[in-house]
Amino acid sequence: MLRSSLLRLCSALLYFGWALSASASSHREAPLIANDPLADNTDVYAFRSPDDPNTVTLIACYIPTELPHGGPNFHTFGENIRYELHVDNDASIPGDEVTYRFTFTRSNQDPTTFFRIRLGQENLYTTYKCERSTDGGQTWTTIVTNGKVPPPFIGERSIEGPVGLNTTYASLMQQAITTASSGEKVFCGPIDDPFYVDLGGVFDLGNLPRQGGAQPRDGIGQFNCHAICIQVPITTLLKAGVAPTPVNILDGNFVIGFWASASRRATRTLNTNGTYTDSGDWVQVSRLGMPLTNEAVIPIGFKDYWNSLTPYDEITDTSLDNFFYNPELALYMDNRFFGAAVPAFAPLRIQTKSLGAFDFGYGKDGLWGLKGSPAVAGTALDDAIFGTLLLPGPGMARSVDLWPIFHTGVPNFPPYQLATGKNGNPLAAGKPFINNFLPNGGDMLRLNMATPVTPRNDPNFSPLGIVSAAVLGLTNPTYASNANLEFIPNMDGFPNGRRLEDDVTRIELQAVSGIALAAIGLWYDDFGGTNPVTQDLLDVLTYETGVNQNDKAFQPSFPYVAAPWSGKETE
Amino acid sequence: MRSIFKNSLAALLLFASLSTALASSHREAPLIADDPLADNVDVYAFRSPDRPNTITLMATYVPLQLPQGGPNYYSFGENIRYEIHVDNDPAKPGDEIIYRVTFEMTNEDPSTFFNIRLGKQNLKMRYTLARSDNGGQSWVNILWRVPVPPTNIGQRSIDSPIGLGKSYETLVNQAIRNASTGERVYVGPADDPFFVDLGGAFDLGDLPRQGSNARDGLACKNVSAICIQVPIYTLLKKGAQRSPSNILDPNWVIGVWASASRQATRTLTAGDESYSGPWVQVSRLGMPLTNEVVIPVGMKDYWNSLTPYQEINDQLLDPFFYNPELALYMDDDLFGGAVPAFSKLRIQRNSLGAFDFGNGKDGLFPLKGTPAVAGTALDDAVFGTLLLPGPGKPRSVDLWPIFHTGVPNVRPYQLATGKNGNPLAAGKPFIHNFLPNGGDMLRLNMAVPPTPRNDPNFSSLGIVSAAVLGLTQPPYNTNANLQFIPNMDGFPNGRRLEDDVTRIELQAVAGVALAAIGLWYDDFGGGSPVTQDLLDVLTYTTGVESNDVPFKSGFPYLALPHAGDGDCGGTPADAASRPDAFAGGFSGFNDRLVNSAPDAVVAANFPNPFSDATTIRYTIEATTDVNISVFDRSGKLIEVLVNQRMDAGQYEARFESAALPAGLYFAKISTGAQSVQVLKLVKN
Repeated sequence: MLRSSLLRLCSALLYFGWALSASASSHREAPLIANDPLADNTDVYAFRSPDDPNTVTLIACYIPTELPHGGPNFHTFGENIRYELHVDNDASIPGDEVTYRFTFTRSNQDPTTFFRIRLGQENLYTTYKCERSTDGGQTWTTIVTNGKVPPPFIGERSIEGPVGLNTTYASLMQQAITTASSGEKVFCGPIDDPFYVDLGGVFDLGNLPRQGGAQPRDGIGQFNCHAICIQVPITTLLKAGVAPTPVNILDGNFVIGFWASASRRATRTLNTNGTYTDSGDWVQVSRLGMPLTNEAVIPIGFKDYWNSLTPYDEITDTSLDNFFYNPELALYMDNRFFGAAVPAFAPLRIQTKSLGAFDFGYGKDGLWGLKGSPAVAGTALDDAIFGTLLLPGPGMARSVDLWPIFHTGVPNFPPYQLATGKNGNPLAAGKPFINNFLPNGGDMLRLNMATPVTPRNDPNFSPLGIVSAAVLGLTNPTYASNANLEFIPNMDGFPNGRRLEDDVTRIELQAVSGIALAAIGLWYDDFGGTNPVTQDLLDVLTYETGVNQNDKAFQPSFPYVAAPWSGKETE
Repeated sequence: MRSIFKNSLAALLLFASLSTALASSHREAPLIADDPLADNVDVYAFRSPDRPNTITLMATYVPLQLPQGGPNYYSFGENIRYEIHVDNDPAKPGDEIIYRVTFEMTNEDPSTFFNIRLGKQNLKMRYTLARSDNGGQSWVNILWRVPVPPTNIGQRSIDSPIGLGKSYETLVNQAIRNASTGERVYVGPADDPFFVDLGGAFDLGDLPRQGSNARDGLACKNVSAICIQVPIYTLLKKGAQRSPSNILDPNWVIGVWASASRQATRTLTAGDESYSGPWVQVSRLGMPLTNEVVIPVGMKDYWNSLTPYQEINDQLLDPFFYNPELALYMDDDLFGGAVPAFSKLRIQRNSLGAFDFGNGKDGLFPLKGTPAVAGTALDDAVFGTLLLPGPGKPRSVDLWPIFHTGVPNVRPYQLATGKNGNPLAAGKPFIHNFLPNGGDMLRLNMAVPPTPRNDPNFSSLGIVSAAVLGLTQPPYNTNANLQFIPNMDGFPNGRRLEDDVTRIELQAVAGVALAAIGLWYDDFGGGSPVTQDLLDVLTYTTGVESNDVPFKSGFPYLALPHAGDGDCGGTPADAASRPDAFAGGFSGFNDRLVNSAPDAVVAANFPNPFSDATTIRYTIEATTDVNISVFDRSGKLIEVLVNQRMDAGQYEARFESAALPAGLYFAKISTGAQSVQVLKLVKN
């Protein structure tokens, strides 16, 4: 019922020609895929390339927490798996507009040794084919054949030594960058896992940051993963019929949704001689769009199911929305529920009486009371414009922020503008800061490709992404002195796409704590009518997980990711 | 060729002759590396130091578990048969005793993404342990649906009242069960007891690392362990005396191996999987490191598919023992110069001026059929062609039997002590773990007394240490009698948790077992056999000689698993160099643009829809005239709820609607002349 109205709503949205922006990793995040590391999609990234802004870089990582010294076989991509990167640019056309499919082949150049590399020969030597489809997977064109995957960075003897490959790892990485027949730059290989999070803290019942002065630890520190990196000309990803120059930096026609997946054949038959045979239809076993969705939003009973869906399936699914309307994490940020049980989240408190009226706590009504009222007329909350998408019913407190951030992106439309210029009315028009609206209803990383790139050496560059842009737009005189659309640094940050540097764990926890609501003028409970930069807001903004950056520096050029850790560097 | 071998084994059994061995496997073969749940990592078998009437059997699975590996962490898998196999009679094909462990998983609270919350545990495993005494034809469940301890996630999840409210040690102790057939059993997470510099070893043999510090690649990692402490009498060969005839009683030898099997067909459906068909072995382990550093990559998956009993008919694998790859790197005529870390490990190329054990050389083959070997294990009449199958197979006399039959207490497999210079003469006994079934197993003579772990002679070098003591240290080297020498109960006579199997196996490849029986190193000049070459091999170290945490003195002996919130749960984050998230600061907040403080802000009513009444809650920021009026959908005024000057604050107005028809109403809120907001009121 709800879903049919959503379908109608999405249609309505498209009819109105509206266009929108969003917020939210997944390592061994669901029970089944945790046992199939080769097919486990751990993260996706999508950002305008800082050194080549006419392109967008798409990255999908697989094979979680690879131990750099995990010999003798180390790690590589799996055979009989379809690794796919999917792009949607037109919500009115069901399914992907552009799909990249990677398939890998392993061979042993010297099967007489137990070493992975010896005397210039490499075992489990891995090559790939890349195919591209621009018609939703109906037809495929091979754009890279015999692409080379660099070997694992075993150590200096195996890589640099004359008894090994007699080269350097940097040159192996460089040599592995290839240009596809259709113009994309492509790299597939092992890298330092760019994600960072205190895994041990967060999953010990939310001990993030670790309490009692305990040393924060990067649970992904010194681990590698296998990445597929593609640098694609924006024109290739642009919706059909759209002029190559955006009308403004939030041009709704420049929004793409990006997600990745891994699929296996339905049937595996083990033979009795140590081999196996795969057959049957391809079944999706892993997917990822927004980081941490299936790790910290979807509860355990639904994780395997979530992995099996495509984002396009989600529009007709009715079992998952409530985890966004009323996320489990919100229970731990509300003193009326389990707030006291998770002391690490003490600075994160959700608005329970924003502007004296609105309660965004678990199971509460949020803005539902405004439904149908003249106050919301003409805003995104007006059923006439957006249907029942954002106010589907009572008791769905986060239908106005978390649900759209994960499922549609956020439109540049009231109330989704900064409080700057709103004169106290959160529903009024304010300063634009995001438009990554692509209302297909599914979990994707949504990026507005029109948004300029924040240079990585800009003094305002921040891993807080859009949260930082919002803070600048609200408080920095350069940006807060007018309500005009202008570029604010980090508008190109998560959840408007995802840069390698973005601290998505922190941003998502802040989002659950209502930071997006505050950005549009739904201030925290301690707002007294004057300065909205209250202690509650400062507490949320300054909340840190204790692990604020990756353990390795990124590279200034494609593939941007850092070289993998050597097996000799880690323990 | 193989049929001859079979005849040899038959001959051996006929002679009722008797026999000790050498050798871990983490992600060791390509296929199983991609199936961690079914990956058998290590096997241990030792006489229990605190309960010497029992043998402790252990098999570990699921390698390299990160203590911080949430949200799902690690456990055994469903739809897998985990088995520990025991052979005690090579005359009977197959296992005499098999333990099979199977698991079922439940989620006690599927509504959370946490693994443990409020006393409930997700992905909770229970196991059933079955035992077969007839080679797997029939099974008896000896433990049923026993809970497996959870992952040691951290203090909040384990110790605290919002978690399980118990210490991890309590959880482990509660998980130890006694089976109906006398076994004590622990199945659950543990610190991985193995230790090795993985990163160094597999970087083309950089072990110990040259010019840098060694690192234990398994430190801070956990495994899933199956530990079974079994009364010796239930493992004894049928008909064997309950008391051993001596400490090397040949009837007291068992062969231990472990495996994991899956059903042949896995079918994926959306978000689920199912299994059907016959069971197929996907992982096995007996001697440590066999499939890791002896079997080359092209044969590893095949090796995992075999049982030890199938190896007797296999012809593909023996050359890797006769001429092991590792020996190439300990021989200056081959690739010795390419692996500087092994420079102290050099194989006898000219032992006693006659015997070359380099790869492709003949070893002791020239002695075949000569009077010198008459009556020894090398005599075809005694042992068939087992030990001297042909030329060019130099290690058929040491490495092959260590891995495939165990070592008999017969000439020449006795210490040089008492041999008066003739390696083929009778010497001092030091090992008998001979169980000649031809397959890769961990062979343990259960009659050998345990060396107390606090004995000053206790050594992680196992039999190598016993050999050194028997050759060089009084009172052991003053006679050639059979007597207990400390560490005779060590690897490769079984495997204790402490045994440094990597070092021992590398020493064995370098010929230390040959030296122990009197086939001295090339630099032996007729005087003391303790030459520089021998000392080099004996003092060779990998740089990682012991586990990263101490073992426990009582069952299950393993250290508790590392906690996810502890020092092993990730790399320390560098707080000092963190990026400044708010370089711009909050100083420039523009009050006018953001907040011009209107008289009344938004209001809301609750409940909505309603039946008898609804309450409108509204906030006033400064003193102003307030009017709240309710209209029906035709615009007719129904009621004025508020019409007065009011001070700043939060207020409520109640709209009584019991007498009104169901339908839609509007509440218009005005301040002064300005309409501020209209609420839509829905009466049911």
